[in-house]
Amino acid sequence: MIGQVYIEGDLRVGGIVEGEVEVTGDVAIDDLAKVKASVTARDVSISGSVVGAIVARKRLEVTRSGSLIGDVRVARLTIQDGATFSGKVSMGATAAAPAKAAETKPVVPEAKPVAIEPKAVVPEPAVQAPIVAPPIAPPPAAKAPTAPPPPTKAPTVPPPAAKAPTVPLKTQPQKGKPKGR
Amino acid sequence: MDTQQAVADGTHTDGQSDSKREGQQKFTLGPNDSLEGKLNYGGHMAIDGGHAEGEFRLGGNMEIGNGSVVKALIEASNVTIKGVVEGKLTARDKLTLGKAAKLNGDVQVRRLQIEDGASLNGYVRMGDFEQHSGS
Repeated sequence: MIGQVYIEGDLRVGGIVEGEVEVTGDVAIDDLAKVKASVTARDVSISGSVVGAIVARKRLEVTRSGSLIGDVRVARLTIQDGATFSGKVSMGATAAAPAKAAETKPVVPEAKPVAIEPKAVVPEPAVQAPIVAPPIAPPPAAKAPTAPPPPTKAPTVPPPAAKAPTVPLKTQPQKGKPKGR
Repeated sequence: MDTQQAVADGTHTDGQSDSKREGQQKFTLGPNDSLEGKLNYGGHMAIDGGHAEGEFRLGGNMEIGNGSVVKALIEASNVTIKGVVEGKLTARDKLTLGKAAKLNGDVQVRRLQIEDGASLNGYVRMGDFEQHSGS
């Protein structure tokens, strides 16, 4: 499993997890599990292999088969003989632990380029607008003086709009490039 | 071993009776003893309620008992801590932190055991040693 997990309750990991795990209850990482993630929980028990920062509000236990590489913030720490552990340990300052947990969030950077494409389609609605406008325009024109403006706009918009869809499509990808950089 | 003799005045050597390995001596720092300075010692050392400060490099094991306060760079084979320790610590074999242990400092060990209740602040590095006499 790859991604972010937020669970209200307990979690038992038996497989492979990558990303970020946040659990309100306890986390148990089994013998064969491989976790590459920052883990935030109340109690954490590690029997498998973990690479990543751990924040345990209460207690962290690394059993004899467990392996942990990463920084650790915990209130209580137990490491059994035979366990592997490397990283920085911060204990006692429990109050600071939850606050620091929120800092390490992986951000997905390349989501925005997709949003540019819909903008290129915008000229097309302009073509549709004048088609809708004429049928509606006659009835209001008789009733209200405010109606005339739409019909006057309609004839002016279509000519550029008809050409527009082809031209903007070429120009807009260039706008997209600077954003990518 | 000159250092050891200089220190031995304020301590007592137990001979080989307490030592785990044959031929290695052990000296104990009692509650009223204190040690300050640089110590290179081939045998084991126990600090039992005493106060110690400095730099201790041991060929044998280091044991820091309940109520002891140690501010030192420590290097030994097996290190067992039940007291309060501040400073860099290297255990060529195993480091054990007892229930009441408090350790502030970076740690390099081959094996590590921490009992519930112990407190540890610092970097832990585990694995084989490139060198142990160090700078």
